[in-house]
Amino acid sequence: MSGEPILSVRDLVVEFRTEHGTVRAVDRVSFDVFPNETVGLVGESGCGKTVTGLAILGLIPNPPGRIASGSIRLAGRELVGLPEGELRKLRGREMAMIFQEPMTALNPVFTIGSQMIDILRRYKGLSRGQARAAAIELLAKVGIPAPAQRIDEYPHQLSGGMRQRVVIAMALSCDPKLIVADEPTTALDVTTQAQVLEQIVRLQQEFRMAMILVTHDLGVVAETCQRALVMYCGRVAEKADIAPLFAHPRHPYTAGLLQSLPRVGQQAHQDLPVIPGMVPDLLDLPAGCRFAERCARRDARCDRELPELDGEADSPSRVACFHPL
Amino acid sequence: MEVLQYSLRRLASGIPLLLGVTFISFLLMVYFGPDQTYQLLGKNPTAEQIAEIRAQLGYDQPFLVRYADYLREVATLDFGNSNSTGELVTDLLGRTIPVSLMLILPGFVLGNLLALLLALLAAHYRSRWPDKGIMAFSVTGMSISYLIVIIAFQVIFSSSSGLGWFPVRGWNVHSFAEYLEYVTVPTLATVFVALGYNTRFYRSVIVEELNRDHVRTARAFGVPPAKLLYRNVLKNCLIPIITRVVFTIPLIVISGALLVETYFGIPGVGKVTFDAITTGDQPVLKAVVGLTAVLFVLAQLLTDILYRAVDPRVSLS
Amino acid sequence: MTETTTRRQSLWSKAAWKLRRDRFGMLGLAVVAAYFLAAVGVWLGLWATGWGDVAGGKWEAPSAAHWFGTNLIGQDIFQRSIYSISTAFEIGLVVAVLSTLLGAVLGAVAGFFSGRATDELVVWLMGVLDSIPFYLLVAAIAFALEGNPWSMHVAMISTFWITTARLVRGEVIKLKGLEFVEAAHAIGVPEYTIIFRHILPNTFHILLVQSTITFVAAIKSEVILSFLGLGVKDGMSWGLMISESTFEVLAGFFNNFLAASVLMFGLVMAFSIFSDALQDALDPRQVS
Ligand SMILES: Nc1ncnc2c1ncn2[C@@H]1O[C@H](COP(=O)(O)OP(=O)(O)OP(=O)(O)O)[C@@H](O)[C@H]1O
Ligand SMILES: [Mg+2]
Repeated sequence: MSGEPILSVRDLVVEFRTEHGTVRAVDRVSFDVFPNETVGLVGESGCGKTVTGLAILGLIPNPPGRIASGSIRLAGRELVGLPEGELRKLRGREMAMIFQEPMTALNPVFTIGSQMIDILRRYKGLSRGQARAAAIELLAKVGIPAPAQRIDEYPHQLSGGMRQRVVIAMALSCDPKLIVADEPTTALDVTTQAQVLEQIVRLQQEFRMAMILVTHDLGVVAETCQRALVMYCGRVAEKADIAPLFAHPRHPYTAGLLQSLPRVGQQAHQDLPVIPGMVPDLLDLPAGCRFAERCARRDARCDRELPELDGEADSPSRVACFHPL
Repeated sequence: MEVLQYSLRRLASGIPLLLGVTFISFLLMVYFGPDQTYQLLGKNPTAEQIAEIRAQLGYDQPFLVRYADYLREVATLDFGNSNSTGELVTDLLGRTIPVSLMLILPGFVLGNLLALLLALLAAHYRSRWPDKGIMAFSVTGMSISYLIVIIAFQVIFSSSSGLGWFPVRGWNVHSFAEYLEYVTVPTLATVFVALGYNTRFYRSVIVEELNRDHVRTARAFGVPPAKLLYRNVLKNCLIPIITRVVFTIPLIVISGALLVETYFGIPGVGKVTFDAITTGDQPVLKAVVGLTAVLFVLAQLLTDILYRAVDPRVSLS
Repeated sequence: MTETTTRRQSLWSKAAWKLRRDRFGMLGLAVVAAYFLAAVGVWLGLWATGWGDVAGGKWEAPSAAHWFGTNLIGQDIFQRSIYSISTAFEIGLVVAVLSTLLGAVLGAVAGFFSGRATDELVVWLMGVLDSIPFYLLVAAIAFALEGNPWSMHVAMISTFWITTARLVRGEVIKLKGLEFVEAAHAIGVPEYTIIFRHILPNTFHILLVQSTITFVAAIKSEVILSFLGLGVKDGMSWGLMISESTFEVLAGFFNNFLAASVLMFGLVMAFSIFSDALQDALDPRQVS
């Protein structure tokens, strides 16, 4: 974790205009990603993980959404406010995204080959034949058997795991500096999950890329990431290196998440403790700490004030809590 | 081979539709249609004369026999002669259908192509002012009656109180220049009306596709927006587009031109059909309705084959 | 059951809220309401009572006595065009209500028994009626009913129910798999009670939108059918005015044509905009 960060996000705010008012899906989120490392982005459903990833690639659907403020720097270059045409040239080449839903992420009416060749030709200036050869090679790399035949198949002829591998191959095709992997395995069955995840980690190392791995599975984070960001309700609750995060979680929410993780030696069917209560509605947020309602350590101040991350901006471990563990 | 087999099966499965269309039309237009007996007779006919004419027209046969006769006529394409003009029905249709096609085709093609173009533009700028402008135009177009458009365009382009550029009515076509003279105003009217409906339909199809995940993937890999539309999205939208276009064809062959033909006095199949309905000219009616039904079955087959050509998920089975 | 009832209620209150915020939609509704008041006035005999009287000379220009001038035989064009509003509402309402009812019933029955003979029969009928060109069918019905003043309505209803039925059928197929229907089955509620008391009310949003669309379609079809001589038989309508005007316009007299077209355009446009707003408000899965 030395040198300049590849990606540097500062005070990112993403808002959506809905019928019932403006929703702040991401609220002043800051973090860095350094070359060659994997940063985990964890949190319950709806906490803004996907939106954060989309914001980095400049893919927030507008309308209804927009980046309201903040800064996103990729290799020192400011992305917020960059014209769409410029931003577009970075997508797929400098940064790539792997999506949550492999079943629908590929265009059903084109062969996977033509979808891959398209990218390779656009960015690498390859001829059709060269691009095809490169695509076959990539498919082999992500573990697709008989890639020379598979390349001419349509997405519906592939299983979910295969499709996700194709998207991964597409993401790798132009050696991006950064990959945002948005729950790449959630939609897959358990055995495939492990395989695909392993593949991603191996390729991340082989291609020497930085990666943001979005997941709500802390187990996955423990296996693959060097650092992690825990998000709650659009805000960063805690960020830390993996070892201290798991050994000594400081935010009560992180602690709660860790407790609900099955441990080695624990009975498989034993009930795991779950965090009581519900995530507040983004349209109707409390004035104070957003986790207060579900928190055992809550006091009057928590209801009044919104806690900010403590410590220096670049300190390795920060928490947004008045009463950290 | 597979396609041939499939086609035969599909055609066979079109038989219930064919029977249904011919049956209902036969019931309405022929069985309950106008009785021609007295039109064909002189003054003060005798009972024998009446009976003779009725036998000649087939009125004395039981319903099912008449219907079966009709089906045989459809199968052999032998409908006899028109009651009103005495012309062979197949000749009559062979003469009038090309006129209708020439009349309606330019408007049909332009109306769809332009609409698709506008729809792509609107979808590209969705929720912004070009979209709003195009959709406002579309709703306005849809709110004006076809008949009003025809009348207005005739007044504006053809009448002496307007520009007077084109013939007011008729169809006196012997050369391409004359064709253009006669076809322009009906085409403009058709395109104007079709644009409203088509643009709206195409836009909604395209926008729905734009909201799909694979479009986001394409954007995440830097596909330029214009290319996204014409390459990635358009192909996905082809199924509803093909359906709409292909199923309009049987209708425009038979009745799409009815209003224009009647209004401009153009001797196409629409006008012939309409006249046949009003006079109860059964041989013509039978031919037209049978033809429509056959065209529909063929259109169904055509769409199925086209679906498979554009969408790999569709299989012929 | 209570669960779906509350779901339904929240759908409606949300829709009403959304509709009220749709400025164009509300403007459309206001215009439609104004037209409707004009029609009510005609029905009550408050105005446009002299639409059939010969009250002036041939083709008089607009004046204080005849706001839109007079037609070929000296009848007041303003009164005729206002009277036609009531005709338009009569046609629109009758056709919209009856074809929606027919579509709802047939669509729901077909959807509920989907895959069985009843369904196949209805689907077949829809395919068949769709394959007969509209004007041919109308003309055929008109002639089969031999000048019956309702033949135009019958003809429109017999084609306009199809779209509604298709939509309802699709929705019912979706709904019948839901828990509350299976629960009703399990406790032995008769099938037709399930269809009409439990399922059909959940398709009401479709029916409402479809009936507004049908209303507009009916008014527009009337004009063309009346021109073709298959429409309104007695009374006055925009279609009759426009067909009356087809040779007038070539002679340079436009009042009849303009009065009917502009009034009709206003109603159709306003109703379409309202219908769109309604659809937006009721569509749970918003494509924008
Ligand atoms: N297109 C949109 N319009 C309106 N609100 C949106 C939109 N996309 C996201 N949001 C809001 O942003 C919030 C965060 O969504 P996001 O998809 O980032 O969640 P997530 O953390 O990825 O959850 P999951 O684990 O379910 O994928 C949501 O609660 C939603 O309210
Ligand atoms: Mg997500």
